[in-house]
Amino acid sequence: MNPAVESLYREGSPNPEAVDNFVQQNQFPLVEPGRVTFVYRGKADEVHLRSWIAGLNTAQPLEPLQGSDLWALTMELPEKSRFEYKFEVVTNGARKLVLDDLNGVFAHDPFGANSVCQGYGYERPGWSQHDPAARSGTLTTLKIAGDAFMETRDVEIYLPAGFRRSRTYPLLVVHDGLDYLRYADLKYVLDNLIHRLEIPAMIVALTQPSDRLVEYTCDQRHARFLSEELLPAIAAKFPLLDDSNARGLVGASLGGVAALHAASCYPRNFGQLLLQSGSFAFSDLGRHKKEPVFDPVVRFVNEYRNHPFVLADKIYLSCGIYESLIYENRSLVPLLQGQGMQIFFEEARDAHNWENWRDRLRQGLSWLFPGPLWMVYE
Amino acid sequence: MAVQIMLGPQSPHANLKHAIDSLSVKGPIVSITAGWRDSEAETEELQSSVGSPVEDLNLYQLAEEIFSREPQLHALQRERQDKLLELQRLYRIRLTPAMAAARKLMREKGESDLLRLEQRAAISQVRALDRHHLQRIAAIHQDFDRRRATLLIPGADNLRQTLQQKMADSDLVLIAGGHVAVLINRIRLFRLGDVLLQKTIIAWSAGAMVLGERIVLFHDDAPQGKRDAEVLDAGLGIVKNIIPLPQAESRLDWSNRNRMALFSRRFAPAKCCTLDSGSMIRLENDRMTAANQSSMIMRTGRKKAVTVR
Repeated sequence: MNPAVESLYREGSPNPEAVDNFVQQNQFPLVEPGRVTFVYRGKADEVHLRSWIAGLNTAQPLEPLQGSDLWALTMELPEKSRFEYKFEVVTNGARKLVLDDLNGVFAHDPFGANSVCQGYGYERPGWSQHDPAARSGTLTTLKIAGDAFMETRDVEIYLPAGFRRSRTYPLLVVHDGLDYLRYADLKYVLDNLIHRLEIPAMIVALTQPSDRLVEYTCDQRHARFLSEELLPAIAAKFPLLDDSNARGLVGASLGGVAALHAASCYPRNFGQLLLQSGSFAFSDLGRHKKEPVFDPVVRFVNEYRNHPFVLADKIYLSCGIYESLIYENRSLVPLLQGQGMQIFFEEARDAHNWENWRDRLRQGLSWLFPGPLWMVYE
Repeated sequence: MAVQIMLGPQSPHANLKHAIDSLSVKGPIVSITAGWRDSEAETEELQSSVGSPVEDLNLYQLAEEIFSREPQLHALQRERQDKLLELQRLYRIRLTPAMAAARKLMREKGESDLLRLEQRAAISQVRALDRHHLQRIAAIHQDFDRRRATLLIPGADNLRQTLQQKMADSDLVLIAGGHVAVLINRIRLFRLGDVLLQKTIIAWSAGAMVLGERIVLFHDDAPQGKRDAEVLDAGLGIVKNIIPLPQAESRLDWSNRNRMALFSRRFAPAKCCTLDSGSMIRLENDRMTAANQSSMIMRTGRKKAVTVR
């Protein structure tokens, strides 16, 4: 039992005042080296932890604590782990997913918010937070009129602080770019890493799909849009380094699939790939068990697994070990390495979420695009 | 008699004023802060720490202005930089396995002649690669100089002569740290190397690096992890037989004795001397006449305080 809970019950069932004090005086969930205790307060018939951790039951029950309206669950959790969760509260047969009211740490994504469990020793990286000393880059909108999607699309362009037309810059194209801005604090990350000279000043195109489940599932139009429309349009407007090694694609989840697929359609047009928790579904025997929307992804990954080739010069892959995609990502690594590409694969004690992807950006970006830190001696 | 003083970073322990006071400077002082790039003009702090007027030569900004006026020169410069970048990439492809082999042999236990000879041979291969790299870089610079001489750019030529004259007329030249490649590039572009040979100089961090014969890049604590030290370019060759290592305390992995030993032996007979904040090395007529808070990496990988005989 967690020491704080043990202390609460030292003299038998606690009175409501003692429970109030317990709730006010502790930070939740209760984190210790190697384990964590979740606490829910309220009347209910059942309470479950919903964490979507691959390998664990998707709903683990909290036990009622005798003589109070508290519920608790203690589980093992390796140090520096991080995952997102909600409580599923069952009352009179009705099930409701709720945030953990006792935990003030939330993570947001396009589907809403989740509570965040930060294991013992986890700290949000300083470089992912606003640093007043770091000069701020600017965002501007570029309209791309093209044939691929038969429409004009807005792409947000990040220009680094101190941008000058007399210089040339690397280009990074980020899938779900606006989500990266909102949920992974990409702008702070870029401002900080550029300020710290850990990556070079670069231009970043933040793309957003109209229909993600179509465009990011191996759609030739998307690959064409990136290489034949977006890239020339940015090159016409901004000074880019004319070198595929100075061009990169970034994507997470299906965005990772979209980046890999685009790179396969135009090999080495983008020399650097940063792929996070890519949904690289495949099937070795029989039909895959994912939703039909993954059919083209499975076809593409199966084909690439059968006939691999060089897509880029360097590929950084990351994946959380608490997500089922770790299997797909791990199995891709030796395949890519076998083609002679430089591969950096990073596993994190985290799951399929934006903060996992945020926390890996420093390693990924600085490996793909080493900054002038190497050159600067103040 | 020209004196060169090399210092470490001026933060948190500034010793520039102390170094100036050790010289009898009576005439004008000029500075080169091109390594600061966009921030070149922000010399207020430098001016106040010196305590007397300092004229910055504004090399970074002047070069930018020339490039915007003279597209041919800009294109030539761009071509040189692109070639140097590509050459550095190719050098790295050869350097990485050569260093990995040398490191692996350095880790081997034993005292046999067999092992010692293989270690020596592995280090020789790295040294040969460094020499080859410098020769290839020199060829790129020579090609640039030859083609630059055919361009008639009176404005740029006049500016260069003005800068050379200002430097010649000064009593002391200060060279600040910053981006070492930009710094050496701007000094080369305005052909200030020959004038600097005759001058009394105080240079810190990247400024000290460009005074040496070879510019060596190093960082064992970068976000992407350890990286093999690389020869970037030849320096101005004003300071002989010293590889200046600014911020060495934090940038080098001193706990890894083999790594440090390899660093020392790779660049021998030059002495690899640390320049951390507060460090100072003074040279007169190619002879070290004073040293403070600087250490040298020994063949064993240990450090030893730099002393003057």
